Amino acid sequence: MKYALFLGCKSSGHLPAYELSARAVLGHLGVTLIDLEFDCCGYPARDVSRDAFVVAAARNLALAERAGLDLLTLSSCCFGTLRHAIRFLGEDAALRARVAQALAAQGLAWSGKSAVEHLLQVLARDVGFDVIAAAVRAPSAGLRVAAQYGCHALRPSDVTGLDNPMAPTVFETLLSLTGATPVDWPRRLDCCGDPLHQANAALSERMTRAKIADALESGAEAICSACAHCHLRFDAVQVDSSDPPIRTLLYTQLLGLAMGLPAKSLGL
Amino acid sequence: MSPAILLSAFYASLVLCALGLAWRASAWFRLRIGPDARDITWSQRVAAVFRGAASALFGSRILRLLAALLLDVLLLRRLFAREKLRWTGHLLVVVGFMLLLLMHALAPLVSAKLFPGYQPTLDPYFFLRDLFGAMILAGLALLLSGRRADFPQRRGLIDWAFVTLLVAVVVTGFLFAGYKIASPRAFYRMTEQFIGSTDPVKLEPLRAVWASEFGVAFGDLKQPIDPDLMEQGRKMQRDACASCHSKPASAFVSYPVARALAPVERSLDAGRADVWLLYLHVFACFLGLASLPFTRFFHVVAAPVSLLVDAAAQDRAFSSAGRVAQRALALDACVHCGICDSRCSVAPVARYLNNAYLLPSYKLGATGALARGRLPRDEADPAAEGAFLCTDCGRCTSSCPVGLDLADLWQAGRGDLAAAGFPAPAQWVQARSALAWAESLEADSAQHPLVDADAAFAPLSAERRTFSRCVQCQTCTNVCPVVAHSIDAEHGVDLTPQKVMNLLRLGLRDLTLGSRMVWDCASCYQCQENCPQGIRVADIMLELRALSVHRLGAVRGQREPS
Amino acid sequence: MSSARQDSCDVAVIGAGMAGMAAALFAAERGLKCIQVGNSGGLLFASGLLDLLGVQPVAEGRLWQSPFEALAALAREEPLHPLARVDARSIRSAFDSFVAALGGSGLHYAPLGERNRKVLTSIGTIKTTYGVPRSMIAGADLLDARPPCLLLDFRGLREFSAAQIAATLGERWPGLRHRQIEFPGGEALPELYGAHLARALESAETRARAIALVKPLLGDAHAVGFPAVLGLARSGDVHAAFEAGLGVPVFEIPTMPTSVPGLRLLRALEGLMSARGVHRHHQAGARALTFDADGATATLELEGISTGSGGERVFARAVVLATGRFSGRGLSADRAGVRESLLGLPVQQPASRAAWHQRDFLDPSGHAINRAGLRVDDAWRPLDAGGTPAWPRLHAVGSILAHQDWMRSKCGAGLAIATAWAAIDQVTRELRGTAAG
Repeated sequence: MKYALFLGCKSSGHLPAYELSARAVLGHLGVTLIDLEFDCCGYPARDVSRDAFVVAAARNLALAERAGLDLLTLSSCCFGTLRHAIRFLGEDAALRARVAQALAAQGLAWSGKSAVEHLLQVLARDVGFDVIAAAVRAPSAGLRVAAQYGCHALRPSDVTGLDNPMAPTVFETLLSLTGATPVDWPRRLDCCGDPLHQANAALSERMTRAKIADALESGAEAICSACAHCHLRFDAVQVDSSDPPIRTLLYTQLLGLAMGLPAKSLGL
Repeated sequence: MSPAILLSAFYASLVLCALGLAWRASAWFRLRIGPDARDITWSQRVAAVFRGAASALFGSRILRLLAALLLDVLLLRRLFAREKLRWTGHLLVVVGFMLLLLMHALAPLVSAKLFPGYQPTLDPYFFLRDLFGAMILAGLALLLSGRRADFPQRRGLIDWAFVTLLVAVVVTGFLFAGYKIASPRAFYRMTEQFIGSTDPVKLEPLRAVWASEFGVAFGDLKQPIDPDLMEQGRKMQRDACASCHSKPASAFVSYPVARALAPVERSLDAGRADVWLLYLHVFACFLGLASLPFTRFFHVVAAPVSLLVDAAAQDRAFSSAGRVAQRALALDACVHCGICDSRCSVAPVARYLNNAYLLPSYKLGATGALARGRLPRDEADPAAEGAFLCTDCGRCTSSCPVGLDLADLWQAGRGDLAAAGFPAPAQWVQARSALAWAESLEADSAQHPLVDADAAFAPLSAERRTFSRCVQCQTCTNVCPVVAHSIDAEHGVDLTPQKVMNLLRLGLRDLTLGSRMVWDCASCYQCQENCPQGIRVADIMLELRALSVHRLGAVRGQREPS
Repeated sequence: MSSARQDSCDVAVIGAGMAGMAAALFAAERGLKCIQVGNSGGLLFASGLLDLLGVQPVAEGRLWQSPFEALAALAREEPLHPLARVDARSIRSAFDSFVAALGGSGLHYAPLGERNRKVLTSIGTIKTTYGVPRSMIAGADLLDARPPCLLLDFRGLREFSAAQIAATLGERWPGLRHRQIEFPGGEALPELYGAHLARALESAETRARAIALVKPLLGDAHAVGFPAVLGLARSGDVHAAFEAGLGVPVFEIPTMPTSVPGLRLLRALEGLMSARGVHRHHQAGARALTFDADGATATLELEGISTGSGGERVFARAVVLATGRFSGRGLSADRAGVRESLLGLPVQQPASRAAWHQRDFLDPSGHAINRAGLRVDDAWRPLDAGGTPAWPRLHAVGSILAHQDWMRSKCGAGLAIATAWAAIDQVTRELRGTAAG
């Protein structure tokens, strides 16, 4: 199992612990991660130009293809964006031609060979629940966790192909393998609000707070995110807040602890 | 040459330089960058700087400061880590220049005091002087031959002038040294002073040695030279000259220059090149000194300050006044190396959109220009686009060799742009209602016949079949979190997703472009996932967003039709 | 996961409406590996009420207190009607099983019995149905006695007016009061949407505020009626909280589609699919269905519902066609006639287009076009042009079937659930049979 690690703009700068813990955990589970010179997946460019976003995404895909690798994303947002680019390239021939031209100017080309996978998919499908279960040595004693997939990991399901978008269970299964108790929370599939924080800060904040309140009301002690953006958002909105707080965790940290890896290697 | 003129010229340049430095540094206390700078006075900044300096110098962090001084300022550790070629070039220039300054320019103060018996024409000083000059040129060559960037660093005319000046200083230095090596006039001046004679016949043996081994271009020596004459000359050399003169072949640049100048040496002598070449050289130096603060090479002062500040402040925990001062400092400390641009995550987007202002170095320039009130309108629009497409990945900040807090600058810059009337599209779209925007578009299309390039730009919304199946069931609206959390009409959406789809069905796309919904969409894709008819609601919404920037941006400058 | 390009299963269910969902559910419960294809959006139009059989015959508009007696009459009068071809015991088992599964998913129904129930609708009419959500049953219980009651609506919630309901009922329910209140948090909004209100009420704080607004208005009301917005994922809890807080029975009134109970049904059924291991392709439809020569395997080619792109394939030992009628595009019509979209199976239909509709839109006997559909044999297999089953293990269920007018008979859910049960029964026998043999 070898993947090109796609960190995304948030993980490297703002959430180094995610990268650290992901490398530690995946390394232990037999997944080799290769670093390529990736750039932004293109998500913010979609606001001004579909072409620019697809070109940016395609560049990353072309780099991976040249190295003969598939991409593994840590952020649901990057995952969805890259996959959307693949879909647009598939259905729009004129776009494909324009993108090919832009890539060729950089000496790159993409012919659809490299695939984009989410961390959860790699863990569930490539590594497998049995292997993960066997690797757990110190399961957490029933920590009640609310699982946050991240919208772009689930929808639209013909792009993401990750579990049932209306009733996903893969993340909850992965969480229970670490000894944690996943809670059912009504707003679990709602958007965290992060994409709106620049355009409409007030609305974005209401969305995030509603999720946190819902998780707490459902008995969760922590929110565990599979997306760097969601995780950072839950943290950011709780700074200087008088609302009841909730812990935020990364799955790779939780799994790493359960596997008995040293806390320092997980960024804790 | 009159020492008085020289000295007054020197003092004048020094004063100009000092005034220039002071004026540039004053900008760190005057320039307002960021909306939070509005309430900070210059005296608050001065106080913050003093407090910070005091706590750094007289606290435990003094060691960190010293380490930073050695490793970051002198040895350029951060640059070494990022671009070794550039580091080599930079070190060559700086070390070459500093040593040349100390050993050669300030010889009476430095070399003469440190090394008894110092003479510029004596080895190793003769060799070293050339070495240092050569280092400067080699370093410059390395720096200028750097990587090719799609969007090159912007260099002002004055910056190129300064570099030319620096090269001129070194080149005139070599020329002057070469001239003097080959100059008969200089020879005779020396013999008059130390032997008491300028008689060519009497000095024939010495002249023979100086012609063959010291490169003087007499032009009137009898050839071939008698070996006995040479022997005699060497004796005279040892007695009268050797204590101050080494063979100039060690001056590996000046000596070849001297040989090259040999054919024209006597005309140079006749033309008093010993005066004007010297003036050229020295005044080039003075000009450089005086003009330094006014070029981007002011960074020789600002960059070390920035590095020391960065070392002194733990995790960039500045007071608000300190932070504001640091932003202004950053504008000067930037060395325009372009490393930030090469690491920028959205560089591919910048290339495709052909907008350099997505790149950090250009953003920095625009931020400074805006703060000084000098950002022209046709630069402000691309600058705003660049500012708001930045993903805050932080790679520029972590890769900056001078330790600039670029992330903070981008935050401040966005605020300034918004305050100056160039906010993100999500904000400027709100300036008018969707209906008013549609009316503007209509008024515009009356003047410019509509060429629908939209089909390529926004294919889904241009294709009626995409949403012709919409039965207005309102499922999209019901599952939309943005509509759910819109708590009042003013801050919430004006058109729900189902209404947007309805307008599209009716062929009234222009009415949707100015809608809040288009920009408040969180792209959570609940609508698209739940739509019973499989309509790509969210994809369409995002297309409309890009289209709105494009179409509304074109009429934004026009007045609202009344 | 659905990123696989090829997959195989015991039974492929094409369609994710009520019939498709029921079929997939029953198949999974019998241990069959099931893959389901289709957009479940049609469920959003459900009201939450499960009709079995309310009107028979349609032309007379005769309502029945007992759906099973109605079914008996149906069997005599319209033996070709799909519901007439499922035995009563199977119908009971099907409904019990379906409702029990929903209950396990948090969506509780009042106990099913021998009688139809009468339920108040959002326009003040009274509807006959069989399965009633627990959150609505109190209203049905009161409909005979009609004691003093309070009906509420929320300002801004469209297409629901307590005043209109009261006006429509008029003298028939003199003790019915109605009030309009502001939804907590929605005071500054011109329009409200049911799903958002339902979500908001899952927060204890919002609930408390709503209850506080209603309590002073109770008076002598024996019960309070709300638009059906009491919770989405936790509707049981929300309903119970309102009853506890107000101290009187609380009942929901089904609203216009797309309604919250429809959304609840969708969520519950998707949750069941996930829990039972049914592999779903949400945004895909069937592009082509072919059968191999030896009759053992069917190959289903998928395509994106919105994009038309495809490439995924499902291999199945049996297929259930639950593609619905015109809005779900199981059937398509043009001036020439009605076609079955996927396989081009012959569609039972009026001889000419002129015979599709009666002149009067509201003609009590209904329109002949609505009875068009697929003919099936006793094993629920659609027939080809020659009158033989198109494929040994291809079955058709739900509203695509001919000889029924579910809207007028008030038998939509019954049609879907009962035929799905019967077809899956058949499939189970077929597959077990072939496995053993």
